[in-house]
Amino acid sequence: MSENNFIKAAILTAVITAGSIVGYELWLRNHGYSVSYDDDERLWANERKEVYQPSDDEVVFIGSSRIKFDLDIPTWKQETGTNAVQLAMVGSNPVPLLHDLAEDKNFKGRLVVDVTEVLFFNGAPPFQERPTKGLNAFKKQTPSDKAGYQISHFMESNLVLLDKDFFSMNAYLKKFGFKDREGVSSGDLPFPWEFDLTQYNRQSKMNDRFVKDTNLQNQVRMIWASLGRALKAPPPSPTHLDSMFAAVKADVDKIKARGGDVLFVRTPSTGPFWMGEQQGFPREKYWDRLLKETGCPGIHFMDQESTAHFQCPEFSHLSPSDAVIFTKDLAQLIQAKGWKFTNKKTI
Amino acid sequence: MLFNSYTFIAFFAIIMILHHLPFFKWTTKKVILLIASYIFYAAWNPPFILLLWLSTVVDYFVGKALYKQENKRKKNLLLVISLIGNLGMLCFFKYGGFLLENFTVLVNAIGINFHPAKPNIILPAGISFYTFTTLCYTIDMYKKHSEPVKSMLDFSLYVTFFPHLVAGPIVRPPQLATQFLTPKQGTRTTIMKGLFLISMGLFMKVVLADGMLSSSADMVFNTPSSVLPIDAWLGVLAFSGQIFFDFAGYSTCAVGAAMCLGFWLPQNFRSPYAAIGFSDFWRRWHITLSSWLRDYLYIPLGGNRKGELRTYVNLMTTMLLGGLWHGANWTFVVWGGLHGTYLCVERLFRPKKVGEIDPIPIPVTTASLAPGFMRSKTMNRFLLALLTFFLVNITWVFFRAQDFSTAWRMLSSMFGRANDGIAVLPTLNMVKVAVVVVGMVATQWFLRNTTVLEVAQKTKWWIVSIAWTLMLLAIILSQESSSSFIYFQF
Repeated sequence: MSENNFIKAAILTAVITAGSIVGYELWLRNHGYSVSYDDDERLWANERKEVYQPSDDEVVFIGSSRIKFDLDIPTWKQETGTNAVQLAMVGSNPVPLLHDLAEDKNFKGRLVVDVTEVLFFNGAPPFQERPTKGLNAFKKQTPSDKAGYQISHFMESNLVLLDKDFFSMNAYLKKFGFKDREGVSSGDLPFPWEFDLTQYNRQSKMNDRFVKDTNLQNQVRMIWASLGRALKAPPPSPTHLDSMFAAVKADVDKIKARGGDVLFVRTPSTGPFWMGEQQGFPREKYWDRLLKETGCPGIHFMDQESTAHFQCPEFSHLSPSDAVIFTKDLAQLIQAKGWKFTNKKTI
Repeated sequence: MLFNSYTFIAFFAIIMILHHLPFFKWTTKKVILLIASYIFYAAWNPPFILLLWLSTVVDYFVGKALYKQENKRKKNLLLVISLIGNLGMLCFFKYGGFLLENFTVLVNAIGINFHPAKPNIILPAGISFYTFTTLCYTIDMYKKHSEPVKSMLDFSLYVTFFPHLVAGPIVRPPQLATQFLTPKQGTRTTIMKGLFLISMGLFMKVVLADGMLSSSADMVFNTPSSVLPIDAWLGVLAFSGQIFFDFAGYSTCAVGAAMCLGFWLPQNFRSPYAAIGFSDFWRRWHITLSSWLRDYLYIPLGGNRKGELRTYVNLMTTMLLGGLWHGANWTFVVWGGLHGTYLCVERLFRPKKVGEIDPIPIPVTTASLAPGFMRSKTMNRFLLALLTFFLVNITWVFFRAQDFSTAWRMLSSMFGRANDGIAVLPTLNMVKVAVVVVGMVATQWFLRNTTVLEVAQKTKWWIVSIAWTLMLLAIILSQESSSSFIYFQF
């Protein structure tokens, strides 16, 4: 190949690569796929830096996936006049995040903690993995990371194909469906793409197809059932529970001592999921004790007529339309617990 | 700044435009490159740029004085000042915690109750690399092996030039500093070749190291219990591939980036897993480090000029210190010690010829494992390469394991000495490791006596284009977030 031919190779490479990318992007869009952000530690770290606004202007949310689906952020803004900083992490124990905010002397705001008992009272390392990654990304962010994040945000906002969980090379390789050896788990959960579309503000939404398609809903219900079997473990020991409550109380007290406020919320679940949760985590031993030990107000979905009858399509998360209704109810219930929203516009 | 980040793509595009603008003078372009290199470095941790400045200023002036100084005592004093400055900084930041930890163990062992607070020292990125770059300049000036760099600007650029700054290749003053004397810019062909190398380097890092191998290596090495032999071997092979693709990928990007700007950097890897024997391995793996160790440690220690026994001692010393250079942990020392042992054994069995002279620069030693009669047969040579690869893999266990208990657990799992081993790797991971590692060894065997660019030159242009396109598409589709290069921690 002569020297000139290297230039010819480069030009052809640029043309085919650009053509392939454009073609793939158009194909995805034509098949109904839309932009969904990678809900990774960088997106979380970007949100984490927003917690320092005055408490009149924002409320911080931590927890697991339920509050990410159930809190409709635009509705929350409309109802309270405050911004919602969404710091919940899917499939994670939020206690490390509570601890991080408690240790951060500059955080003096209001905090809503979503409680999904099976995660909140679970100290196993896998459930702390995401919080640890997020906190590391926030604390160790370099100038290069920050600049890279901005470019990455621009790219992700415009390209559907940049969805690591569904359209990356490894996501396609997983579709070969190799059978694993006994006792080995890849840890991959085959959620359908339609189930969780992440927005830039970290709100999660099911799309219309998911809300209508019972096959897709059943696919997720099967995942919950398999997780239920896999995570079957003896309940936390009394000593472990005592120390957990003590740690949570200590963190809550630190936030309160700085003028902040903490409120717990139990978001809706339905069907077999809710039944299993009631059996595994009896309310009086967990939820009631949590409120008693910490001295914080709490909102349990079953305590209110307005929130007790939601139907979660896959038993654990609200549909987008129900999330709007739930958020309106939540805003009112929180105010009834004594929180004031001075920025709220009255008509 | 990482090569595998959007930030670098934007940064490099700007630098390429500024560097190739026709109306800037050469000095202005050098200033732009220098500022860019500082930005590249500061993008991690801005305060550490002060260390880089300190090292540059001290070595520039001390180097000049060393070259001019004829008084032996004053010359030695200047050398000591430079060594203390450079090695002192390295010792504090890299080995401070390690030294204190070992000192604590030692004094407690003799009955003194001493428990200091754990030092919280952050390791500046690339300190080991730029320290070696400045050290070789000082030593060269002391020995008058090359002329001092005339301007502070050229010297600063020699130390800081961003393609090699953080993880090499480790460059010598005559290799790079002289390139700044006359205007340089990429031609259309060198820019295209440079971009091809950058694409290949990113493919190695993003697709192969991060996308295909790292999770398997992590899974196996992070399992707190013993694993089945097949899992253990695949975990080690995965790391073997990961460390090669990670580091060789970085070096390839560095060479490519420099080439785009019109500069040449030395090659750092030459199909190391096709090596026949360990002296051959060290001619092919991290070439600029092994030649540095040969020229600035092994030969000054006496090399092979002071008798057989002393040669072996020098070899071991060099490899043990080479191991320690990689990280402040005894596991790295053992890794270096194993390589030293391999080299000594190889030297012991090498065929001896009267008046034998090393044909090409050979890092560390001149031995060869392969007896002459075997070297003539391709299959035998391939089998010896596989044996070398097998033994290299044993050393990677100590390199990757965070402590000795993990290393022993891995070794006993690999050799079936663990009774309670469990299966940990999903089938897809096993397939990925097997395909990539077999492909890696086969490709390196094919490229054993040539380079990728040489092969590309001989191949039809449209075939090169298809391969290039596939690499780019794989990089885009792998969507791996910009994870750091393994060698940055060294």
